[in-house]
Amino acid sequence: MKILIVDDEQPARDRLRQLIDDFDKYEVVAEAANGEQAVRLAAETKPDIVLLDIRMPGLDGIQAAQHLNRLDPAPAIVFATAYDEYAIDAFEARAIGYVLKPVRRERLASALEQAARLAAGTLAEVAAASHMEPRRQHLCSMSHGQLKLIPLQDVNYCQADQKYVCVHHAGGRDLIDDSLKSLEEEFADAFVRIHRSAVVAVASIERLEKTPDGKHRVILRDGSQQPENELIISRRHLADVRRRLKGG
Amino acid sequence: MAIALTLAGTTDSGRFLFELSKTALFVLWLSLLGCAVMCLLRSRLEGTGKTRAFVLSFAILLAMCLLLAEIAYQLTRIFAESVIIHDSHSGFLFRTFMVSAIVIALGMRYLYVASEWRRSIVLEAQARISALQALIRPHFLFNSMNTIASLTRTDPRQAEEAVEDLSDLLRANLNTAKSRTSLKQELETAAIYQRIEKLRLGDRLRVKWDVGDLPMRALIPSLTIQPLLENAIYHGIELLPDGGEVTVTGRREDKDLVIAMSNPVATGTERSKRGNKMAMSNIRQRFELAYGGRGAVDVDDGTDRFTVTLRFPLEKDEV
Repeated sequence: MKILIVDDEQPARDRLRQLIDDFDKYEVVAEAANGEQAVRLAAETKPDIVLLDIRMPGLDGIQAAQHLNRLDPAPAIVFATAYDEYAIDAFEARAIGYVLKPVRRERLASALEQAARLAAGTLAEVAAASHMEPRRQHLCSMSHGQLKLIPLQDVNYCQADQKYVCVHHAGGRDLIDDSLKSLEEEFADAFVRIHRSAVVAVASIERLEKTPDGKHRVILRDGSQQPENELIISRRHLADVRRRLKGG
Repeated sequence: MAIALTLAGTTDSGRFLFELSKTALFVLWLSLLGCAVMCLLRSRLEGTGKTRAFVLSFAILLAMCLLLAEIAYQLTRIFAESVIIHDSHSGFLFRTFMVSAIVIALGMRYLYVASEWRRSIVLEAQARISALQALIRPHFLFNSMNTIASLTRTDPRQAEEAVEDLSDLLRANLNTAKSRTSLKQELETAAIYQRIEKLRLGDRLRVKWDVGDLPMRALIPSLTIQPLLENAIYHGIELLPDGGEVTVTGRREDKDLVIAMSNPVATGTERSKRGNKMAMSNIRQRFELAYGGRGAVDVDDGTDRFTVTLRFPLEKDEV
């Protein structure tokens, strides 16, 4: 079984590696020092189990787990934490695997033994229960085996293009696996649907403009990537877009 | 009080009870009405600040006594023979004024002292609890233990040092009976703390100490600098992927010592703010108990740096 170790502290990673090296059936394939590295390395090395520290800078453990969950195949996750009563309560309640630091050999063995993939939705529940950010803060793009995390606040709009969805963001354009419908649901308070094939980040809308042929289109704050004839608002979404712009 | 007044005023022992009942009735009126008025005005007075509230209530009570004395005088003149009040009109008013002024002043002084005493008990209790809360975070303790467990294999020597450091730190934490400690001791505790965290965080943790100019014998409430450093690391450095530099600067300003601790913060970490506020109010409480109004704990919660500034008076013999 392949294991990926994720912890921002070197001695903590060493400790887990020491213990795992003592077991025969497990092998450490990589170590990551933060959440972003973890998702990237998981996509590359396809571990069976990810040992994931919760409190990390940048992308924390819960957020990283949300991205790991979307990988194919998704690894099983075992959380590691020193002390976080809320999270532990949440794990207990949902039978999610975890180990406490300092990590005990037997406890680690049994947690690895029972490690299972997390059901969708479970993580969001855990995040809410432990007062952490329940939503992803990044969109995740995989292209040519390279993983890229796009901060949510950089996203201008997402456009469906046949099979894929293309994210237009401050740093360019990327394809993602999420469907428009799931994006619209997950980020209901940040995105608004303007057309069957597009959702726009409300924060990046500058104003609405009427086109010569009587339709309405969105004008973005970041005008540089404004396409000529795109971001037309379909009739059935117009009222909703207006309401959202007024802060309703 | 009525008895005292009557005793002082009457020479004829035969009339004592009669005089007593009169005086008691009058005093009862005054005090009941005074209480009622104060209760009614209470919420308004509370908002005006201590000194003003005192002056105002004193004036109000006194005016009320005078008014009542006048009413009493007029009533007795109309309904009864004037024997009930022996004095002349102005004499009666004057006497009432003086006696009530003295009594009200004494009463308010008593209440003030009593309330200050109560407040100091509450403060002290809070400070004790705060001192307990200032004890090392479980998060830190468990992480350190984990680090030591890891080092026992990779670097036994360093593990040994870590155990010694951790013990020293725990000892300093248990020593809460002493409410003040020397600056030297306090800085040493913080340095030990830094060493342990350094093992865990490596190059991510950088601390710049600029406290050479401080008089090391000066006294400071114990466990103030180390918890501040702990905060700076827990809420600042730990949440930054590349870490950062905590700066500690100390200087003398006239008769005060000023120590400032500043750490970089990650943007968009709402979650961390809550715990930080608790730790700050904890240190504030202990500062208030130690220095009253003469010490200050200022917090500057900037977008990219969080700075706490401690200011406290330097006693003469500590220079």
